[in-house]
Amino acid sequence: MSIAGETLRADAPVIGPNLNLESMTDRICRIALRERAFAWWWIAFIPSAALTLLLIVAIGYLFYAGIGIWGVNWPVMWGFAILCYVWWIAIASGGTIISALFFLVHAEWRTSINRIAESMMLFGAAAAGIYPVLHLGRPWLFYWLFFYPNTMTLWPQFRSPLLWDFWALFTYVFASVLFWYAGLLPDLASVRDRAEKGLKQRIYGIFAMGFRGSSGQWRHLRALYGVMAAIMTPVVVSIHSIVGLDFAGAATTGWHVTQFPPFFVCGALLSGFAIVLLLIIPLRKLLNLEDMVTGRHIGVLAKLLLTSSLLLAYAYLMDAFSACYGGNGGDLALLAARLHGEYAPVYWGAVLFNVLLPQLLWSRKLRLHTPTLMLLSLGVVIGMWLERYLIVVTSLSRPTLVSAWGAFHPTFWDWATLAGTVGLFLSGILLSVRFVPVVAMHEMRALILFPPARSE
Amino acid sequence: MSPLNNRTPLWRSLEEAGGDPGLLARATQEFPMLARALADPVNRREVLKLMAACIAWSGLAGCDSKFGDALVPPVRMPPNVVPGRPNFFATAQVLGGYAQGIVVEHVMGRPLKVAGNPHHPASLGATDAYAQALPLDFYDPDRAAQVCFKGNPSYRAAFDAALATERARLKASDGAGLKILTGNITSPCLLDQIESLLRAYPEATWVSWEPLSRTNAQNGTRQIYGTPLDTIAHLDRADIVLAFDADLLSTDPGRLRYARDLASRRNPARGQMNRIYAVESTPTLLGSVADHRFIAEPSDVEHIVAWLLDAVRSQSSPPAPAGTRPPWMAALIEDLKGARGKVLIHAGAQHSAAVHAQVHLMNESLLARNATYTLIDAQGPAPTSSPEQLLLDMHAGKVTHLLMLDTNPAYSAPFSWDFAAALKSVPFSVSLARHLDETAQKTTWFVPLAHSWESWGDARAYDASVSILQPQSLPLYDGLSAAEVVDRYLQTQSRSSEAIVKDFWRARLSGDFAQAFDAALAKGVLADTAARPATVEPRPAAVHPSGPEKSDNPEAPHATAISLVFRADPSLWDGRFANNPWLQELPRPLAKDVWGNPLRISPALAEQHHLETGDVVLLKVGEASVTSPVIVLPGQAPHTITALLGSGRSGAGRVGDQVGVNFHPFTSLADAVRLEKTAAHTDVATTVHHNLLTAPSEQVLRHQDLSEFLSGQPEASPPAATLYETHPQGPAQWAMSIDLNACIGCNACVVACQAENNIPVVGKAQVLREREMHWLRIDRYLAGDASAPESFFQPVLCMHCEQAPCENVCPVGATVHDAEGLNVMVYNRCVGTRFCSNNCPYKVRRFNFDSFAREQHRPRESWNPEVTVRARGVMEKCSYCIQRIAAARIEADRDSKPIGKVTTACEAACPTRAFTFGNLADPESAVLARKRSPLDFAMLSDEATKPRTTYEAKVRNPNPKLKGLSA
Amino acid sequence: MAAIFRPSANLMATSVLLLGWFVLLGLLALWWYWPRTDYAQHLGAAMPQPVPFSHEHHVAGLGIDCRFCHSSVEQSANAGLPATHVCMTCHSQVWTNAALLAPVRESLARNEPITWRRVADVPDYVYFNHRIHIAKGVGCQSCHGPIAGMALTYKAQPLTMEFCLSCHRNPGPQLRPRSALFDTEWQRGRDTPSPAQLLQQYHVPDRDLTDCSLCHR
Repeated sequence: MSIAGETLRADAPVIGPNLNLESMTDRICRIALRERAFAWWWIAFIPSAALTLLLIVAIGYLFYAGIGIWGVNWPVMWGFAILCYVWWIAIASGGTIISALFFLVHAEWRTSINRIAESMMLFGAAAAGIYPVLHLGRPWLFYWLFFYPNTMTLWPQFRSPLLWDFWALFTYVFASVLFWYAGLLPDLASVRDRAEKGLKQRIYGIFAMGFRGSSGQWRHLRALYGVMAAIMTPVVVSIHSIVGLDFAGAATTGWHVTQFPPFFVCGALLSGFAIVLLLIIPLRKLLNLEDMVTGRHIGVLAKLLLTSSLLLAYAYLMDAFSACYGGNGGDLALLAARLHGEYAPVYWGAVLFNVLLPQLLWSRKLRLHTPTLMLLSLGVVIGMWLERYLIVVTSLSRPTLVSAWGAFHPTFWDWATLAGTVGLFLSGILLSVRFVPVVAMHEMRALILFPPARSE
Repeated sequence: MSPLNNRTPLWRSLEEAGGDPGLLARATQEFPMLARALADPVNRREVLKLMAACIAWSGLAGCDSKFGDALVPPVRMPPNVVPGRPNFFATAQVLGGYAQGIVVEHVMGRPLKVAGNPHHPASLGATDAYAQALPLDFYDPDRAAQVCFKGNPSYRAAFDAALATERARLKASDGAGLKILTGNITSPCLLDQIESLLRAYPEATWVSWEPLSRTNAQNGTRQIYGTPLDTIAHLDRADIVLAFDADLLSTDPGRLRYARDLASRRNPARGQMNRIYAVESTPTLLGSVADHRFIAEPSDVEHIVAWLLDAVRSQSSPPAPAGTRPPWMAALIEDLKGARGKVLIHAGAQHSAAVHAQVHLMNESLLARNATYTLIDAQGPAPTSSPEQLLLDMHAGKVTHLLMLDTNPAYSAPFSWDFAAALKSVPFSVSLARHLDETAQKTTWFVPLAHSWESWGDARAYDASVSILQPQSLPLYDGLSAAEVVDRYLQTQSRSSEAIVKDFWRARLSGDFAQAFDAALAKGVLADTAARPATVEPRPAAVHPSGPEKSDNPEAPHATAISLVFRADPSLWDGRFANNPWLQELPRPLAKDVWGNPLRISPALAEQHHLETGDVVLLKVGEASVTSPVIVLPGQAPHTITALLGSGRSGAGRVGDQVGVNFHPFTSLADAVRLEKTAAHTDVATTVHHNLLTAPSEQVLRHQDLSEFLSGQPEASPPAATLYETHPQGPAQWAMSIDLNACIGCNACVVACQAENNIPVVGKAQVLREREMHWLRIDRYLAGDASAPESFFQPVLCMHCEQAPCENVCPVGATVHDAEGLNVMVYNRCVGTRFCSNNCPYKVRRFNFDSFAREQHRPRESWNPEVTVRARGVMEKCSYCIQRIAAARIEADRDSKPIGKVTTACEAACPTRAFTFGNLADPESAVLARKRSPLDFAMLSDEATKPRTTYEAKVRNPNPKLKGLSA
Repeated sequence: MAAIFRPSANLMATSVLLLGWFVLLGLLALWWYWPRTDYAQHLGAAMPQPVPFSHEHHVAGLGIDCRFCHSSVEQSANAGLPATHVCMTCHSQVWTNAALLAPVRESLARNEPITWRRVADVPDYVYFNHRIHIAKGVGCQSCHGPIAGMALTYKAQPLTMEFCLSCHRNPGPQLRPRSALFDTEWQRGRDTPSPAQLLQQYHVPDRDLTDCSLCHR
C-alpha cells in the first residue's frame, strides 16, 4: 500500500463527517475481534518477535558472561545500557505527555490517538525498564537499591541520583500500566459485548472486570482517569528530570550542566511526537482510520515536533555556551572534540536530525505531507539516539585527566541488545494493535455526540 | 594469557603437575572436570589450567562460604608460627649473578610477599619489579617437576646412575671433553665448587655465558688499569652526572642503591640539586629524569665520547663547536671542568671496551675516581674458555659431556640456532633449569632446578658483600640446586645444598660458626665482606686508548644508516621472567606497552617508512631477518631502532610462550640493517589509550626550573572553600606525599601493589579493550618536540579525597569515608553501577569486567589472605594498603598506644623513597614534613576534592647556558 | 443481553485480587522473617564432628582454660584450633584407648590432621580479629554463648552484621574486667565496674567502631 500522494487538510475536522457512534464502535471492535490477523500484521510481527528472541538470548548470555561482553571499558564505564535507557524513557515519556497533558488541557485532537500514545508509553517504558538492571555489574543484586529487609542494618545511599532514578523509573512504569489500563476498561467492555460467545468473550470479560457502564462505574472511572492523568503529567516530568540529574548530579566533564533536567524533558517531547507520527501515519491507513485521525491531528503533531525541536536547539546552544562561559579546560576540550574533533560526526548528526531537518516543517505543505513527516520523524529518532551517545560516551572518553583519555567500541552484544529492545517495543505495539481497541472509543463517543466548536 | 605451546610434548603438563601419581587421583576426586579433560588426550595439556581454575574457584567460593566448612589444625604446630600472623625471613634475589637483599613475608609458612632488606647495601630496603614478582615465579604452575631423558619423563635415580658411569669415564680421561656452561656467577660457594671440579678434571673447561654481560666494562678497565675492575658509583657525591646510554637505574647490579643516591640530590627543597646530562640513542630511565637529554645515534655517541675526552684533557679553553660537533658540547665541557672532583661520567655496559676506556680516562682527568666512584677488583675467577670456542668444539665433536647450569643459550645466545644444532653432536648433555626451556628440550638429560626459595646458596652484591640465600619453603617440585649438581660430579655421596653451603662457610667464618652463620642469615648479609677500593693507577700506555677514531679527523661520518641497538626488556630482564604474568603485563616505563616487545622506532623513521604503531615490519640484518610490529617512541634517535631482549620464548611456559619476538640471535650481527614495511598490522597493547604529546597542565603536574624555584616564592595553595561538613576526625589521619623529583618510573611500586593487593592481570586482549586493573599506575607525559620530548613520570593511585566525588553517587553506599580519612571500598556491597568511576576525576577506579581473579595463572595458596579477592562485576581501587593499617591499628589499640608508622607496599618497594605515607595527626610524621614542602601541590585542585595524596612538583636543573637547546 | 459470568464471578474476582495482595504481603513478611530464624542462622544445632568433643566436660568439668587449646587467641586474628599433639598431651595419659578418641590417635600416628567443621563462622569478607576483642575486654561468651555448657559445640549467636553492630554501637554491656575474660561462669555482679567505667578503662571510645573499614577490606 502507499501513503504517498495523499494531501491532507490541516483545517479538517477532528472526526470525519459520516462517523456515528455505531459505525465507529463497530469498526474499532472489529479490528480487535478479527478471526485472522491482517497479512501486513504478520509481516511486521514475525521480524519483531525474532528480534525479541534475540533480546532474550543477549540477556541470557549477559547474565552468564557478565558485562565484559559489552564495549564498556576504562574510562568509558557507561555505554549502551545507559544511553539506550535514556533514549527509550524519552520515547515513553513523549507518549505520556500526549495522552495525559493534553487530556488535562482538553485538546480534542488527542482523543483518537491517545491509545496509541499510551501503548507507546507502556512498551517504551518496558524496553527502558530492563536496561538499568542489565547495566549492573552484579544484576542479581539490583534490589539493593531499594530498602529491603536485611540483617545488616543497611540502607541505600540516598544522595545518589542513580537511586532517585531507580525509584522514579519504578514509579513511572507502575503508574503508566495503571493509566493505560484505566483508560482501557470501558473499551474492553464494549469489545466484550460485541464478541460472540466463547473464549474471546470470556477473556475480554475478565479484563473488563465487570464494567457494565453503570453511571456509578462511569463516575469512578472518569475520576480515576482524571486523577491518573493529573499524576502522570508531573511523574513524567520528574522521571526525565531525574534521568537528567544522573548526569547533571555528577562531577564528570560534559555532564555537570544545570540545564540537563529540562533539556532532557525537551528531548522526551521531541522523540515522543516523532514516534507517535511514525506509528499513526501508517496505522490510520492500514486500519482505515482516516476519518478518525485526520489532517488536523497530523498537522498539530507536526507543529509540536517543530516546537520541541526548537526547544532542543536552544538547549544545544546553551550547552556550548556554558562550556565556553565556564572556561573549564576539560569542558572546552570536549566541546572542541565535538565541534571539529573525532566526535564531530555524532554531534553534527544529532544537530542535523534534531534541529535542522525539522525546520522544514515551517512549510505548511510539508507539515501535511505524510512521507516527509515519516522520514523527518525517523530522522529525529536516530538523532535523539546520537544525542544520548554524545552525552554518555563522548563525555566519559574525555575526562579532565588527559592520561585517562580512552575510546569506546560497541560490541555485537551492545547492538544485539539495542535491536532486541526495538523488537520488544514493536511486538508490544503490534500485539496491542491486534487485540486492544486502537482508539479510545468511549472518548470518541463523547467527541461524536458533542463535536467541539470549529475554530475558524 | 598466551595460547598453550602446541609444540611441547603432550605428557608435559601432566607430570609437571607435581611428579607424584597420587596427586592426579586426588585432583580428579576434587575436580570432576579434570577427569573429563583426561579422558580426551588432546585436552590433557589443559589439565593444569583446569586445576588452577578450580583452585581459584574454591578460593572465590570462600566469598559466600557455606556453613560448617572445614577447619584443619596441624598435627604438630611448627615452632614460631602463630596462625594468622606473618613471619619474615631474609634472603636475596640473584640476577645476572649479582645479589640484592630481600626479606620474604610468610603467612602460615607460605612465602607471599617480598620486601627489600634495609641492611643490604644493594637494597637499602628497596626492591625492583623483578623481586616483587618473585612470588608468582615461585608458585609458577609451569615449573618443571621431573627429571627427563631425551624428552621423556625419567627419575632422579636414573640420572644419578647415568652420571655415575659418566663420572667413571671422565675420571679415566681427566675430564677430556667435559665442558661446564654457566651464567655469570658470584656465589663464593659455587665458584669454589667449580674450581675443585676443574681441579678434579684437569682437562675440563668452564665457560660462562650471560646475555646481559658486563665484560665490555671490565675490558675497558683492563685497557686502562691492566686488570678487570668493577665500578661502584656514588651518585650522592656527584654534582654533575654525564651518562652515555646509562643503565645505572635499569640493569646495573647496583641500580637500587644508585637510584636512592641519585634521588638524594634531586629535590631542591631537601638539599643541593645535582645536574644530569644524558647522551643516548634510546630513552633510558636516567635520561628521562635528566636535566639535559641529548639524543645521538649510537655511532655519534662514540665520536662524542672521543671529542669530549680531548676537550676535557686539553688545558686550553674548550674548542668552539664546529662541523658535526653538537652545539651543546662547549657548555657541557665548561660545566664538567668547573666541577672537578664532583663529576661522574658513566657509560652503559653495552658500550664497547674502547668507550669505557675513554670514559675512565675522562673521569681520571676530572679527578673523579675515589671521589664520585670507586673501582673494585672484578669478582670471581675468569672462565677458562669462551662460548665461541665451546661452539667450535661442539661442532668438532670434541665435547663429550656438556653440563649447563641455569643457562639457556639455545634461546638467549646470539649463536642460539647454531647452538641447538651443535647440541646434537654432544653425546651426554645435562641442563639444569627452572623450566623445560629451549635448551633443556634438546639436551639428553634435563634436571629441574630448585627455586632459590627452595634451596640454600650464596651470592655477592655489586659491591661484593656476601648474602646467604636460605630456602623459604619445602620444595614444591623435586629440583636440585646448581651446587648440588656440581657436587654430584665431585663425589659419590652427594650432599644437600644446606650441607654444601654450611660446609663452605664453616671453613671461612671466624668465631663460633653457628652464631656467625645465624647472624648472617638474620641480617641477610655477611658483615664486612664488601670489597675495598682497588689500588690501581692508569698505565702510561693507556693514555692514548684505541678509540673508534681520533678527534684529529673532525668530519666524523654522520649516521644516516639505520642502527639497531638492544636493551634488556624493562619488565622481563633477559627473558627469564617471561612466564611471569605480572611482569608481562607491566607497562614498559616509556612506551607503556605490555605483552610483547615491538621494535621502538623514532617518529622520524616512522614518517620516512610510513609506519605507525602496530605496523609489522620486516627487519633484515645481513642474511638474518624477522618480522615484528613497531611502536613509535618519541625521544628515540632518528635512525636508531631499539629491540628489547626477553620475548619470543618457546620454552618458558603457558604465559610466556609465543609472546613477542626473540632478538637475542641478532645481538652479534654487525651487517647493515634494513627495514621493510609489510602489509600486516597487529594491535600493540599499551596502557596509554591515546597517542598525543601534551605537556601536562599545571592542574595535573606542576614542574619548574631550579632558577624559578629559587627565585619564585612558593605559592601556598589556599584552602578550598566548601559547603560540606568535613568528615569526623579519628585518632589517625592517613595521607601520602609523592615526590615527582624522585620518581624514575621503574615500576617497582606497581608490581608491589599488585602482589600485596591481589590485583589480577587481565591479558593482552583485555588491555586492548582498556580494562587493565593496576591500582597504582605511573602516568607518563611527553611534552614538547616529538623528536626530543621532555618526559615526566607521575604515579597515580587513589587520592583518598576528603570530599570524594565517588562517595555520594554510589546508590548502595559501597564506597564511603572512614574516620581516619580513608576512602574505603566495601567490595561485598558493590553492585557495579560504575557511577563512582565516572565521577572520579583521577580515574583511579578499576572494574572487574570479567572474572579476572578466577583466570589467574597461580594457585590459590599464592593469594594474600589479608585482602579480599574481588569477584566479577565489582569496583576496586587503592585502599592505602588498609590491611597494613588495620594490623598496625590493632597493634596500637591493644595497648591503647598511638598508632605507629604504617608503610604501604608501594612506599616499601620504592628505591628512591618517592612515596611517603603516614599519619597527618602525628606532628612528627614524615608525611607532614613533606606536605609542608614548598613544592607540595594537589592534583586537579580545581575539583575541590581535597585529596589526601599530594605531590611535590618536578624541578629540573638545566644549564643556563643551554637555554632552549633541548630539555 | 445474556450475562457471561455467573454472579459468583464477582466474588471470585474480588477474592483473587485480595489473595494476590495477601500473597505479596506474605512474601514480604517471609523475606523479613526467614533470615532471622534459628534455622537460617544455624543456631543451636550441633553438627557432626570427627570427635564428639565436649566443651562442657573440658571447660566446666575439668576447668581447662580456653587458651590451653585456643592458644593464639590473644596474639592473633585466629583463636587457633589445638594441634593434634595438644590433645595428646593429656590423652596419651588418660582415655588412652577410648574408641571415641581413635581419630585423634590415628591423626598423630599417620601424621594426618583432623578435619573439624567450623561452627562459629563469618563470611570471608569480614576480617574478625580475636586479639583486639580480647584486649578490649570482650569475653568469649559474648559471641560464642554458654560454651562451658555445651556437650556438643553449637552456634549460639547469629553473628550477623546486625549482631556485630549492636555491640559495636554500644560495647559497654559486653565488656568485663580483665580478670574475668576467660571465666566462663562470670556474671555481672554488684562489685563489677559499670559499663561506662570499663569503656574508659579499655579506652574503647577513642575510635568510631562502626567504620566499614574496621571489618571489611
